[in-house]
Amino acid sequence: MKQSPHLFKENAKRALSDPTLKTALRRTTGLLRRRRAQVIADYPEYAAAREAAEKIKDHTLENLAHYLEMFEANALGSGAQVHWAATPDQATDIVVDICKAEGARTATRVKSMLGEEIGLPEALARAGVKRIETDLAEHIIQLADDPPSHIVMPAMHKTHEQVAELFRAKHADPAATDHIAALVESARRELRQKFLDADIGISGANFLIADTGSVVAITNEGDAELTTTPPKTHIVTVGIEKIVPSMAHATVFLRLLARAAIGAEITQYTTFFNGPKRQGDADGPENMHIVLVDNHRTEMLGGFLQPMLRCIRCGACMNHCPVYSAVGGHAYGAVYPGPMGSVLTPVMSSLQEAGDLPNACTLNGRCQEVCPVNIPLPDMLRSLRVRQFDRKLTPGMARIALKLWGWLAARPRLYRLGAGAGVLALRLWARGRGRIRRVPHAAGWTRHRDLPAPEKGTFMQQYARKKRR
Amino acid sequence: MSSARDSILNAVRARTPAPGVHGDIGKAAAALIATPSRYQPQFDQQGNLERFIAKATSERVTASIGRVATVEAVPAEVARYLKDCRLAPSLALQPREELTGLNWTGLETHPGIAADEPAALTIADLAIAETGSVVLRSGPDAPVLMNFLPLHHIVVLHEELIHRHLEDVFGLLGDGPAEQPRNLCIVTGTSGTADIEAVNVRGAHGPRFMHVVIVDKP
Ligand code: SF4
Repeated sequence: MKQSPHLFKENAKRALSDPTLKTALRRTTGLLRRRRAQVIADYPEYAAAREAAEKIKDHTLENLAHYLEMFEANALGSGAQVHWAATPDQATDIVVDICKAEGARTATRVKSMLGEEIGLPEALARAGVKRIETDLAEHIIQLADDPPSHIVMPAMHKTHEQVAELFRAKHADPAATDHIAALVESARRELRQKFLDADIGISGANFLIADTGSVVAITNEGDAELTTTPPKTHIVTVGIEKIVPSMAHATVFLRLLARAAIGAEITQYTTFFNGPKRQGDADGPENMHIVLVDNHRTEMLGGFLQPMLRCIRCGACMNHCPVYSAVGGHAYGAVYPGPMGSVLTPVMSSLQEAGDLPNACTLNGRCQEVCPVNIPLPDMLRSLRVRQFDRKLTPGMARIALKLWGWLAARPRLYRLGAGAGVLALRLWARGRGRIRRVPHAAGWTRHRDLPAPEKGTFMQQYARKKRR
Repeated sequence: MSSARDSILNAVRARTPAPGVHGDIGKAAAALIATPSRYQPQFDQQGNLERFIAKATSERVTASIGRVATVEAVPAEVARYLKDCRLAPSLALQPREELTGLNWTGLETHPGIAADEPAALTIADLAIAETGSVVLRSGPDAPVLMNFLPLHHIVVLHEELIHRHLEDVFGLLGDGPAEQPRNLCIVTGTSGTADIEAVNVRGAHGPRFMHVVIVDKP
């Protein structure tokens, strides 16, 4: 997809004034949050599972070369072909070359964020391969020509009314009503034969199992199996961090992923793919290719961003983020939106280009709290801000303000004096009404809400008073 | 792309701690999952069958259950199900001897699967009580598409094949690539989607209905 993280401020402004988007986001994020809370409350072993998951990922990352080689050997043993790609271009070249060698005209595709990350849809289009997205949400955004706005539910920004209108315009045999069930049925009719006729099936992977060489894909719709079984060739594009030591290790994540993502104990379909069709098999692809993609992942190893490689792409951090819930995924202008995206996008593009993203965060900490692998997202965002400051990427006024604040904060006496004066000034400005309607130079804050007048005295003054008593 | 392979593996090695002895890595990995009961959902009050039925028929999983005493009684239960669903007395039959050898008088059966197949019958290789899931392996007598194309998926499950947790099922499969079927699918109920406004709808691309016929323990 086309990336525009440098336009965050403009995009966010536009998103905030879009009432339909507001409706779509309200309908979805609230429901997802409630469902997750329920299923976690019903899983008393959750804390232990989360801790185990974190440790398993850390162990695997610390021994990543070992596990990658083990996976490669076992996948080759199952008859799959394994390719390596350091960059997105290398990865898409590999996929396009396979398509060309097979004379492929159509490719069905199961939703994969890595596919978006490496620009696979665009590469297939350039190569003249007709791409058919099979995940319902991806199908919707393909018809609408929209980029994804969420990593689990890429069409989160669309209301069902908008989907109905879209299907009426684009489906051969659209539904007669706007009911969501009728819309799902319409997509089923539209895609059924396309599954069976495709030349190539492309998927991502949620996990790679080192000791069996299995590729694991999970879906609720069943489109992974329908996409990868009929065509002659199955291509998997996957990030190297998706690896786990064994199937028993993977179960820890299977339990967490569905709970965090959609509030279910397990997804409807969890499939382990082990190479191409075997002798005598009733169906299945004749060739299976696995493309292992780096794209800056190795750079994150061994540094403060390493924990980000634990991410299992559940989307919980964005569902619980107040910024995401207000502006939606498109505002971020990147494949990965929300808190995890604000960490990943600067790595995958540049801190300069994606400079607004680490700052589009209130540091409220919800994202880390709900993250099933305990990724310290707020700490990382803070560290990225520090790096921006150090590299002089922070804008001039903010730099001066931060410098001034830093200078003051290092001088407690002066700081207290300043804070006391500030509190007094704001209380005077509020004129005893308790609320402040307008503050000079802070219209961004007061245009949409009042600023509460501060309590009498700063925290330190109140603390001193209490102690004296 | 061997150069990409080398550059990636070298970059990984440069940024991770020096590798220990491989046996030690294996030991460390095993230690991480040494006590699965710590993080497995516990259901001490329920037996495997009871838990399986409770989960499979739950609001999220939406399967229905039929019970028969012996496998010979499966055709009658299938005929009843089709009739109750107002379907024609016809179905795609997985080409396994255990199924094809049964007496199907009164029902039309066929080995192939059509794109819009109303109903298909397959055998579950294993099942998981924890989640109410059935485990289906691919093979010469088990086409994958038979589990995904029909609108109604009917599954025969022998009660003794229900295991407690996900790990128990994987333990039975063996962990070398040779012991794995090409395609191993854990199916938990019917195909669903929440992609429009996060509302759960059944019958996205795969089956809209699942009926599990449990054959009592001998
Ligand atoms: S950072 Fe955590 S919560 Fe966010 S998508 Fe990744 S695993 Fe899920």
